[in-house]
Amino acid sequence: MSSSGTPSSESPPPSVIAQEQALNSTTAAEPTGPPASPATVIANHKRKDTSKVIVRFRAIGNAPILKQNVYKITASNKFMAVIQFLRRELNYQQADPLFLYVNSAFSPAPDEIVNNLYKVHITGVNFDR
Amino acid sequence: MPPQPAQGRTPAAASSNSTSANPTSTTSAPHNPIAKVIWEGSIPIQFSWDKAEAAAVGSSAVESFFYEAQRCSYFSLLTSHVRKHFVDMALHFIGDDAEVWYDYEGTPLKWHYPIGLLYDIHGLQASSGRGMNGSLLPWKVTVHFQNFPGDKLIKSQAVDSCQDYFMSMIKEADYLRNGSTKKVMNMSKSDQTQLWDGLSSNNYDRFWGMNYKLMQNDGVMARNIPIRIYLPENCPVIQEPVSPIDDKEQPKTLRQILNASLPDLFPLVETGPPVAAAMIHGVIPNLDTSAIWASQNMSYPDNFLHLVIIIK
Repeated sequence: MSSSGTPSSESPPPSVIAQEQALNSTTAAEPTGPPASPATVIANHKRKDTSKVIVRFRAIGNAPILKQNVYKITASNKFMAVIQFLRRELNYQQADPLFLYVNSAFSPAPDEIVNNLYKVHITGVNFDR
Repeated sequence: MPPQPAQGRTPAAASSNSTSANPTSTTSAPHNPIAKVIWEGSIPIQFSWDKAEAAAVGSSAVESFFYEAQRCSYFSLLTSHVRKHFVDMALHFIGDDAEVWYDYEGTPLKWHYPIGLLYDIHGLQASSGRGMNGSLLPWKVTVHFQNFPGDKLIKSQAVDSCQDYFMSMIKEADYLRNGSTKKVMNMSKSDQTQLWDGLSSNNYDRFWGMNYKLMQNDGVMARNIPIRIYLPENCPVIQEPVSPIDDKEQPKTLRQILNASLPDLFPLVETGPPVAAAMIHGVIPNLDTSAIWASQNMSYPDNFLHLVIIIK
């Protein structure tokens, strides 16, 4: 049986929080001018957020240890991109099973947004410590 | 407008006292008319076989399959019924559950989303954007047995996978509420299974008998509300960690939650006619509703409050 890897990302250093901005900070700004139209709001949310989040992979179970385990990943990517990236790094074939958990707690669907997971994750860590 | 419960105390929590008198009813659901009505919400669906696919196997005039689907259910749970219908209709056709996928007006439907959420997004939200107000029912869904769109839908959609994704959502919700998944992980295997079994067998008492334990959260106020917000036009899903209480320890309203993520669409004080509304289970709740109350009573079985934004 092939080994089933179960890496999970860990808490990024707090300094990453500062890199989180662009789209989010503009939408949460104080309402100084007239409110943006729904069309503008939708267009802003569709725009790709190019800021990065730091993901740390940790192998658990039989998963192989990575030489490098910290990577920057574009925040607006889907979680699928993280899975595909790790598969490439591990040279895994399509049939090799690979399970990813966030903070060893839950396994997100591939279409979840990395930034959303990152925000959930930070909150959890802040409360845990 | 729904009643506003005292902070940290839910109707489910309040009514569970009355049922606890009977020790044999530990797994039956506490009385909660709101949760019950939401559970019973359904959508009539007309499943039609993709014309080109049907013609390719020489079955050009196949009758549609009509089914009244639970809003809280998943397409994966209907697939065996749908496939059987078309297999019975067409000679020399067997089909394969694992290859079945669905679309509405050309958009593939995500099988790991609840059916009601898909209808609200692809039916009601999309049609309101086009200025359509007519009934969309029965909801006309196209069935495919070939050309699975692997770039748009997650492959491997067996019922087991659907259960896995469902449980992952419940764990994610637990993580948001408590900062860990201990509440779910500490459930026995059979208790965990009861959630999915209750949902897949449309057994309200079985599901809510277990789910109210998660929703009550042992009377502890959640750190964050498991909530997702869906803008039109396939925008990325908005999921922010949101505390259910404000600085003054008062329960936040849905308006406050929406305002935090979408201040331009949901101002705290409306100065004109609202430009947007939020829809849950096909209904538009009063935005003064307490958000934690909405979460505990109006969430989908996956424990998330899915808010679909309708632009007016």
